Amino acid sequence: MDLEFAKQTFIQEALELLGGMESALLVVEEEENRTEAVNAIFRAVHTIKGSAGLFGFEIIIRFAHTLETALDRIRNGQVALSHASITHLLACHDHLAVLVEEISRDFENAPDLEIRGRALLDGLAPLLETAPGGGHSLVSAQATPGLETSHGSESDECWHLSVRFGPTVFQDGFDPLSCLRYLGTLGTITHVYSLFAFPPDETFDPEICHLGFEIELATRASRKTLEDVFEFVRQDAAIRIIPPHSQIQEYIALIQEAGDASELLGGILVACGCISRESLDEALRLQRVEGNVPPGPRRIGEILVEEQAVPPALVVAALEKQKRGQDPQSTETKVVRVQADRLDRLVDLVGELVIAGASAQARAGLSKEAGLIESTAIINKLVEEIRDNALSLRMVQIGETFSRFRRIVRDVSKELGKSIELEIRGGETELDKSMVEKLSDPLMHIVRNAIDHGIEPLDVRRARGKADSGSLALSASHETGSIVIEVSDDGGGLNRNRILAKALERGLIRENAVLSDQEVWQLIFAPGFSTADAVTDISGRGVGMDVVRRNIDDLRGTIDIDSYEGSGTIFRIRLPLTLAIIDGFRVGVGNTSYVIPLNLVQECVDLNAFLESAENHLVNLRGEVLPFLKLREVFGIGGALPPREQVVVIQYGETRAGIVVDRLQGEFQTVIKPLGELFRQTRGVGGSTILGSGEVALILDIPQLVQRVSSAGHRPNPSTSI
Amino acid sequence: MAKTILIIDDSTSLRQVVNITLTNAGYEVIEAFDGQNALTKLDGRKIHLMVCDVNMPNMDGLTFLKMVKADPRYKFTPIIMLTTEAGEEKKREGQLSGAKAWVVKPFKPDQMLSAVSKLILP
Amino acid sequence: MAELIKLPGQKLANRSTSAAGRSQYLAFSSGGETFAIDIRSVREVIQYGGLTEVPLMPSFIRGVINLRGSVVPVIDLSLRLGRTGTEVARRTCVVILEVPAAEGMAVVGVVVDTVNEVLEIGPEDIDPAPAFGHDVRAEFISGVGKVTGRFVILLNVQHVLSVQEMAALAGGREAAES
Repeated sequence: MDLEFAKQTFIQEALELLGGMESALLVVEEEENRTEAVNAIFRAVHTIKGSAGLFGFEIIIRFAHTLETALDRIRNGQVALSHASITHLLACHDHLAVLVEEISRDFENAPDLEIRGRALLDGLAPLLETAPGGGHSLVSAQATPGLETSHGSESDECWHLSVRFGPTVFQDGFDPLSCLRYLGTLGTITHVYSLFAFPPDETFDPEICHLGFEIELATRASRKTLEDVFEFVRQDAAIRIIPPHSQIQEYIALIQEAGDASELLGGILVACGCISRESLDEALRLQRVEGNVPPGPRRIGEILVEEQAVPPALVVAALEKQKRGQDPQSTETKVVRVQADRLDRLVDLVGELVIAGASAQARAGLSKEAGLIESTAIINKLVEEIRDNALSLRMVQIGETFSRFRRIVRDVSKELGKSIELEIRGGETELDKSMVEKLSDPLMHIVRNAIDHGIEPLDVRRARGKADSGSLALSASHETGSIVIEVSDDGGGLNRNRILAKALERGLIRENAVLSDQEVWQLIFAPGFSTADAVTDISGRGVGMDVVRRNIDDLRGTIDIDSYEGSGTIFRIRLPLTLAIIDGFRVGVGNTSYVIPLNLVQECVDLNAFLESAENHLVNLRGEVLPFLKLREVFGIGGALPPREQVVVIQYGETRAGIVVDRLQGEFQTVIKPLGELFRQTRGVGGSTILGSGEVALILDIPQLVQRVSSAGHRPNPSTSI
Repeated sequence: MAKTILIIDDSTSLRQVVNITLTNAGYEVIEAFDGQNALTKLDGRKIHLMVCDVNMPNMDGLTFLKMVKADPRYKFTPIIMLTTEAGEEKKREGQLSGAKAWVVKPFKPDQMLSAVSKLILP
Repeated sequence: MAELIKLPGQKLANRSTSAAGRSQYLAFSSGGETFAIDIRSVREVIQYGGLTEVPLMPSFIRGVINLRGSVVPVIDLSLRLGRTGTEVARRTCVVILEVPAAEGMAVVGVVVDTVNEVLEIGPEDIDPAPAFGHDVRAEFISGVGKVTGRFVILLNVQHVLSVQEMAALAGGREAAES
């Protein structure tokens, strides 16, 4: 463990805290009892500031400090938390998040950040008013004024320190000896005299301290440093520090203060060489000494007894109860933090293992050795389990991503002057972490669009007899082998005619084209397509839905729309469970193998037996007529046709179709390898995988392939790229 | 044998840095993430010093302080409390419970080391 | 797929400009002509084989290979330079290169007839690319090197293997077909 590691921990921890802070800020208005949320907000800033200090992240400390002061006032009920201040605190939260993220970049843009930070802090003024310097009292209380000008001396010179500990020093857990030990690290202790002020009678209590020291210390340390030695005990103690070459009066004053112990103290000072016997006599003469003097000085060695004995282990009932009643394992100990790239590496390795396992099994199969086949089968079964486990490590709940939209919905709806309620369902649905990251942008776009274009302005809503508040829902659920994420709103729905008009204008469709609703809705994903009459800051900048589509494509997902004029729109995103490994179905055309994701495969039939129309590419599947495409034709693969072609019947969403291939080669675990930038624009091929033989096989992107064929078939216009 | 220090703070990174600093200086360090967790670490073993944050979820530093002071095994164990400028009131409350050593957050690693050294040397 | 030459890129990079600004180039034949590539872009050279064709790609993109678990695209240099395709023979090999791409470096393989040698050429022996007189596009050539009386065309890998341009060509073909 080193500091760099701790720094990473800090960043992660801070971002988590900020996430919690944001959630709390967003719900605090609705909470009946705000204490908990306000505490969470305060604690996030407090903890970040405290940890940032250790790393010397000054810019964070400065910002967090004032923010914390403001939050503390809210927490103590000194100022009320208004809607406006929440908005401002959210902005402060964002800035703090930027600062934390910038740490890794070593504050290259610090001037900008400083200016922005200062502006935000200025905005906190309403929360900080009537608290002039309130937060700084502790700082000023720490140092004794007027003493700090004294600096360390050039050489080791003798200081005199006179210490009388407070009576509770033992009970406070301090060992007076530790002061001596620490002083010993600052210089050389030349003389120590210990003093006891025993109480006269049997009121003596061993837990009460009656101890004092007179110390001669040869040191170069400054007065401040020496004072700080007694930082923790000085509150109840009497401490006098006399620098080297001090005037005799300083010592005389010390002696005079000692009262009963003057004579004794005088003797010590003479013995230390601080003052001469003559000066002492002179001083003592000036002071009227009365009464008896306590016993003479004892050597420090005599009090160097062993450290305080620990009383027999009596256990306080409350303490015991705590231990018994509570599961000592709190959530933190159950969670192991792992760096994301380590996890990725593990998943990669498991991927390699899957490939190697498949290869071994294939070879075992060829050997026809029953024992070998059996053992490789067992190994592969285990590998499959390891695969599932490894992948599950990367699964995260989508809820966190969803709740981030509370903020966006709040900000955007406010900006547009619309009132919108966000409902979140299925937040516990898990999906691959890498997908969650890539999903957030497209979701953002759809949500912004829904708020901007979907949900109508208040007057329109009233005219339509709808509730004043628009409602927006984000939901996630599992559906056989995939995850479905829906963004639905109760707005005006998509306008079919307007989309058609725009598409015509942009040359995306031909005049008089007959399109189903689904086909019309898909038009909005065309590059440069935008139906907003007014371009707003929120959306409608003409970029957007095509990017959304591309992002979803990259995730090997599909997106479709249900829209009902006047009553709302549903965007439905369907994603594979994971990006890394899928169950694949291998087919062959010519001498090349291709992989179809197994979850799309419904059944396989012989083409000739089910052929309905060779010309129109239709098969008749027990009464259901399905279109098919021939991979050989689509991919332009030459060579001789096999005697019997096979149809793989696939289904995704509502679409069913047949894919005609030469051979069926069976199921296998497919580790997905991206094809890289060069093939980015390739449609119909979604990725690649490495077969047990070491060969590369291409994974078919079935939706793209089907879309490609159907658009070529139904719409002869070659410029159509939907 | 090295002196044992128990650091109680809900910030993992803070504990890590304090741990690194004190371990390098020759102390033995155990960590706890809140008061309750810290109580489970007090199984009768000798703890020479505790460093405890005030503001923590679950069981805060002051509650922990009161419980420790009530345990005869640890009533003489020095405790450094961590607070911020904003925590003045807490500090007064803590002082009544017997916490006299306070270190103000944010602090630098060497400030922590020197505070600890004033109470125990490794 | 036996590796013919293993060239750890970084180590070579230090060495390649060592002696008085002289650079090292990997010389190879393609379509009967000798070309050379700055050795700093070369990762390794492997024997040709195990290629999987990617459908609907321009012909100069021959396909992909499995390079120790990574899927690497393979370009037919001769076709990319506007000549006829490389005939696969016993000595045909694939030069694995690292080229700049939109997201960091991309690894690309190039099919050539055979790899000849590593040449050390000083700047004084390199003439600028001729503006005309050669059938290869001018921006593909970074210069012409003179080595013991022979001329070697030094290829500008960044242009010849520009991932962006090649991807655009691949996409263009797509659009034209659909």
